[in-house]
Amino acid sequence: MPEPLYAVETIDLTKYFHHGGAKALKNVNLQIRHGEIVALLGPNGAGKTTLLKILSTLVLPTSGTAYVKGYEIVRCEDDVKKSIGLVTGEERSFYWRLTGRQNLEFFAALYNLKKNQINERLDYLFNLFEIENPDKRFYEYSAGIKQRFGLIRCLLHEPDVILMDEPTKSLDPFSAKSLREFIKETIVKKTGKTVLFTTHRLEEIKDFCDSAALMSQGEIIACGKLSEEDIYKCFSERHSHS
Amino acid sequence: MFFRKAFAFIKRDFLIVTSYRFSFFMEIFGIVTTLLTFYFIGRLFEGRIVSHLVPYGGDYFSYVLLGLTLSNYIGTSLSGIMGQINSEQSMGTLEALFVTPTKIWHLLLSMNLWGFVYNTVEGAFYILFGIILFGVDLTNMNFLSSMIIFILTIITFSSLGLLSSAFIIVFKRGDPISWVTGTLMGLLGGVYFPVSIFPSWLKDISLFLPVTHSIQAMQLAVYKGYSLTMMLPQIGILVIFSLILVPAGFISFNYALKKAKKDGSLIQY
Repeated sequence: MPEPLYAVETIDLTKYFHHGGAKALKNVNLQIRHGEIVALLGPNGAGKTTLLKILSTLVLPTSGTAYVKGYEIVRCEDDVKKSIGLVTGEERSFYWRLTGRQNLEFFAALYNLKKNQINERLDYLFNLFEIENPDKRFYEYSAGIKQRFGLIRCLLHEPDVILMDEPTKSLDPFSAKSLREFIKETIVKKTGKTVLFTTHRLEEIKDFCDSAALMSQGEIIACGKLSEEDIYKCFSERHSHS
Repeated sequence: MFFRKAFAFIKRDFLIVTSYRFSFFMEIFGIVTTLLTFYFIGRLFEGRIVSHLVPYGGDYFSYVLLGLTLSNYIGTSLSGIMGQINSEQSMGTLEALFVTPTKIWHLLLSMNLWGFVYNTVEGAFYILFGIILFGVDLTNMNFLSSMIIFILTIITFSSLGLLSSAFIIVFKRGDPISWVTGTLMGLLGGVYFPVSIFPSWLKDISLFLPVTHSIQAMQLAVYKGYSLTMMLPQIGILVIFSLILVPAGFISFNYALKKAKKDGSLIQY
C-alpha cells in the first residue's frame, strides 16, 4: 500500500451516544501529516477523548469515517491497532501487583513481539526512558514513572501514530514539561512518529506542538499553528455566540 | 501466536494470584477442609447401601468428589469470562487489552485459561487425596468417554458463559443466566447427590439443565467405565445443548461488544 498523505485523517466524523442526545462529535474533519505533533485542546466534554477513542477503535462512530495510516478504522480494525499506540493519563491501566517489567512482558506478547525480541526491546526502552529499576511492583512507582511505563507500552510494537489522552494529567508542572520535551526530542524527532494528544492546558501547546485543533461542544472551531491569543479569541467568540 | 498470548495470560494470572500469598495459602487450606467435610459426610453412609448411589459405584465420597471437581470446571466456564471482564473493567486495564492487535476471541479464551489451570490443580488435589487417603477407586474409568463428556461440558457452559458476559457488557450487573444456572446447579444438577432422589416433578425439571446430564454421564464414565455407545443419550443431549448455545453465545457476545462500542460503555461497570 502506498504511504498515505496523512497519518491521521477524519472525514465528517460524527458521534452521538444516545439517539436524540447531544452530539459528542459534529462533522469533525482533521488531517495530520506524518511526524507532526498535534494537540486537541478544549474544555471538559469538548469531545477530545471521544475522538481519540474512535481513532483507537474503542468506540464506533455514528457517521463519517477516519483513517489511520490509510486504514479505515471500522473495516481495518486490526491494521489500525498495529499502527497506533494509545497512552492514557490513567495510571490504573497496568496490573499493580506485577512489576513494571512483568507488565510490559505481558503486553509485549499481546503486541505480537517474539519471545527473543522482548528482552532486547525492553532493555532498549528502559534505557531510553531512564527507568532505573523496572523490577519494582507497579504501585511502588511515582506518577511520572508510571506515565513513562505507559509510553513504553505504547512504543513496544513501534507504532507510527501515538495517541495520548491527557498524558500529563497526573504530573506536576516540572515532570509534565520534562515529559513533553522527551516526547518531542526522543519520540518525534528521532523516530519520526506522529503524535496526537488531548489536553486542556494552554501551556502544553506552546513550544511543543506543530499545530493545535481547538474543540468545543464536539466541533473543531479552529485549527493550525495557534497562539495563546488566537485560542482565547476563538473560545471567547464561541462562548459569546452560544 | 495464540499459544504465546495464552501463555502470557496464564503467567500473568499466576503471578498476580501468588503475589497475594496469604490468600493463596487460604485457598489451599479451603480445598483440604472441603474434602474433609465431604469425607465425614460420606462416613455417615459407611457400610450402608444407598440405592441412589448404586448406579455410580455406591460410595458417597467418591460421588461428591467427582461432582465437585466437574462443578468447579463448570463454574469457570460459566462465569470465568464474565468475572475476568468485570475484573479488568474495575482494574482499568480492559481498554489497554482491547487496543492491542489481539483478536477478541483470543483475548476471551486466554482470559479464562488460568481458571481452568487452577481447576485442574484443584481437581488433581481432590483426586490424589481421594485415592491416597480415602480409597477412591478409579480403576473402572473409561478415559475416552470421560474426555468427550468433559469437552462437551466445557463447550456447553462456556457458551452459556458468553451469553452471561454479553449481558454484563450491556447491562453491567445482575446477569440472570449465571445466577439461575449457578444457583440451580448445586440443588438440581446432581453435584452433591444423584437427582434420582428427587420427586418425579423435580427430577423432570432437573433434566432441562445441561449440568444434570454432564454430572451423571461423568459419574458413569469414571466409576462404571461406560463406553461412548452406552452414554449416547447423555452425549446426544449435551451435543444438542452445544449446537444451540455455541452460536447463541457468539452472536450475543458480538452484538454486546458492538453495542458497548457504540455506546462508549466498554469500560463502565
